[in-house]
Amino acid sequence: MRESHRAEFTGSFGSNSGSRDRSSGAKVDLSPELVAQALENPVKYLPVSVASIKNLVVQYGSFVALNDLTVEVPEGCTGLLGPNGAGKTTLLKTILGFVSPASGTASVLGFDIRSQGREIRQRIGLMPEQDCHIPGMSAVQFVAYAGELAGMPKEQAVRRAHEVLEYCGLGEARYRNVETYSTGMKQRIKLAQAIVHGPKLLLLDEPTNGLDPAGREEMLDLVRSVSHGKGLNVVISSHLLPDIERVADQVIVITKGQLRVQGMIKDLKRIAGAPMDVELVEHSDEFARVLGEMGAHWEELSYSSYRVTTKMTPDETGRLVLAAARQVGVQVRGLIEAERSLEDAFLESIGSPVHHVEGGFQL
Amino acid sequence: MASTPIADLSYRNYDGELSDTRYRWWVIAKAQIFMAMKKRAVWIYAAFSGGYYGLMIAVLFFIDQMSANVPPGQPNPLSQFLNRIVWKDQFVHGFSFGQMWFLAIALVIGAGAIANDNRANALLVYLSKPCDKKDYLFGKWFGVFLPLLVVSAIPSFFFFFYGAMSYRDAGFLSGDPWMLPKLVLVLIIGSGFMASLVIGFSSMFNQGRMAGAVFAGLYFITNFFTQLMLAAWMGITNGGRRMDDDTPKSVVDLVGTLFYGSVDGLNIGIAKAIFGTDGSPYLGIPSRIKSVPMPSLWLMLALVVGISALMMFIAWRRIRPVEIVG
Repeated sequence: MRESHRAEFTGSFGSNSGSRDRSSGAKVDLSPELVAQALENPVKYLPVSVASIKNLVVQYGSFVALNDLTVEVPEGCTGLLGPNGAGKTTLLKTILGFVSPASGTASVLGFDIRSQGREIRQRIGLMPEQDCHIPGMSAVQFVAYAGELAGMPKEQAVRRAHEVLEYCGLGEARYRNVETYSTGMKQRIKLAQAIVHGPKLLLLDEPTNGLDPAGREEMLDLVRSVSHGKGLNVVISSHLLPDIERVADQVIVITKGQLRVQGMIKDLKRIAGAPMDVELVEHSDEFARVLGEMGAHWEELSYSSYRVTTKMTPDETGRLVLAAARQVGVQVRGLIEAERSLEDAFLESIGSPVHHVEGGFQL
Repeated sequence: MASTPIADLSYRNYDGELSDTRYRWWVIAKAQIFMAMKKRAVWIYAAFSGGYYGLMIAVLFFIDQMSANVPPGQPNPLSQFLNRIVWKDQFVHGFSFGQMWFLAIALVIGAGAIANDNRANALLVYLSKPCDKKDYLFGKWFGVFLPLLVVSAIPSFFFFFYGAMSYRDAGFLSGDPWMLPKLVLVLIIGSGFMASLVIGFSSMFNQGRMAGAVFAGLYFITNFFTQLMLAAWMGITNGGRRMDDDTPKSVVDLVGTLFYGSVDGLNIGIAKAIFGTDGSPYLGIPSRIKSVPMPSLWLMLALVVGISALMMFIAWRRIRPVEIVG
C-alpha cells in the first residue's frame, strides 16, 4: 500500500525534483534518514519514477528471464538496451501484465502490476514491434476503436483519432483500410493507436523497424516530439543505438535479466578525465609541443585534431588549449568536450561484471 | 501563401474522460456487431432465416381467405387446417428451417472474429489496452451471439404475436401457456451454441476462411450422419408407424438419439425437448410419416453446454498476447 502511494505521489507532484535529478545525472542516495523523511513527506523527498521495480524475478519454466531486477524507470524518454535475450521484452511484458512475476514487486505509474493491470494499461500506450491492426477497419476507425478500448467516449475517440492521425502524418490516408498501408504507414498507425488515449507512459518496441532512412528520421522526430515537453514518458526498446541516442535522455541497459547500467546518455558517453577534443585549421607539431609543456597530455586523433587531457576541469582545459593556440599562433576551429560513442559505452557495459548502480554509472 | 497549416497539428495530450475499465467487452462486441451490420450477406441470410414463418403466415392468410368464401354448411378449410396444427411445433419448424441460415450468418460474422485478429496480431492491440482475455473472448462471443439471437428472435416473435392476436381462439396460447418463455430459452441456447462453436473454431486458425471452411465442413459432415440415422430410423420403424419386430427397442432409441448428433440436430433436439414435442408435419400438411421422437432434455443440454464449454475453453487457451520480439 505504501509503495503504491509513494509512486503515485512522486508521479503526480514531483516533477521539479525529478528534473533536477535528471540534469545532474546522479541517482539519489536513499540513506535511512532520507527514507524516514521521505515517508513523512513523500512528495518532497523521493525521486520521480514512472515505474519502480524491485527484486523482480520472471521465469519461463526453468529459464529465468528477469533475475532479481531492481530498477527505477525515470520520467522522460528512456532507452531500454540490451543484447538479444537480455530480458527487455520480458520487462515490457511484465509492465503490461502479460506475464506474472515469480517474486518481487513492481509498480507502474503508482499502480501495482499484480493487482492493477487494467489501471496500468489504461495509462500506457504500446507500440509493438510487429505489424498489428484490427482487420477490416480504416485508420480512423482503428484508432478511434483503440481509444474506445482504452475508455474514451466514442465522440471523443473519433475526434482524437483524427487529431493523432494528422499528427502522425496519416491525415491524407485516414479513410484507407489499414491493410493497404505501406510499412512506414503501419509504423505510424501503431504509434497513433498507442497515443490516442493520451497515455502517461508510452512503450515503443523497435519503432524504426523496417523503415527506410527518411521514414526512420520522421519516426524518430515523432518520438522525440511526443517525449519532450508533452507530459508523455517514453520507454523505447531498440537495438539501434543511434536511434536511442537520438531520442532518449537516459538509458537502462539489461543483460541476462539483470540491470547493468542506468543513467543519462551524456554521462554514459563521458570519458574519465574529461578530455577536450581540439580541431585546428591545420596540423601543428608546435601546438602539441606547447600543450605538453603546459602539463597536458595529448593524442592525435586525425591530421589536425587532438584529444587533450589534463587534471583540471573541462573549462580550465579549454582555457589552456586556447592559451597554447594563441602562443603558437594557430587558429582553433573547434573545441568540445570529448565523449565516446554510445555503442562503445554499451559494449563496455555489457562486457563488464554486474554492478549495482547506486550513485550513478559504474561501467 | 503561408507554408504552415492553419490548424495546430502539434501533439497535445488527452486529459479528458476515461471511463471505468470494466465493460470493455461491450466495446468489443459493439464493434463486431457494427462490422457485421455492414455486410450485405448478413441481411440477406437474416431475411431468409425467417422463411418458414413467412410461409406459414402466407398459408394461414390464404386459407383464411378461402374459408371466407365457403358457403354456410360446408366444411370450413380453416378449421380443418387449424385442427391439424400444433402451434408449438411451428416454432420448432421455424427454428429448424433457420438453422442453415444461422450457420451462414455465424460464418460471416464469427469465422474471422478471432482468426483474422490472429493474422493481424490484433490481440496485441486489445490486450495492451485495459482489456483482458475475459473481455476479449466474451466480447467476441457476444458479438456473434447477439446478432444471431436478434435474427432468430424477430421472425419468431413476429409469428408469436401474429398467432396470439389472430388464433387465440384456435388454442394458440392455451395449447402451451409457457410457449413464449420456452421460445426465448430455445433461441438463447441455439444462438449461444452456434456462437460458441464458431468462436472456438475461429480461435484455432489464422484465417477466417479456413476457420469457416472447417466449421462448415464439420456441420455438413455431421448433418450427413444425421441423415443416415434418419434413414435408418425410418427403415426400422416404417416411417415411425410401427416397430420392426426384429429390431430391439434399445437400438431404435439409440438410432433416434444419434439422429440428433449434428450441429443443427442438437439445436433441433433441444428445441423439441424444451417445447416437449416430438414434432409434426411441416405446414400442417397431412402425412403418415412421423418425426423422430424428442430426445432427452438433459442429454441434449449436457451435450450443448459441454461442447460450448469445450469450444470456449479452446478459444481461451488460444488467446494470448503475441510475443514482443526484443
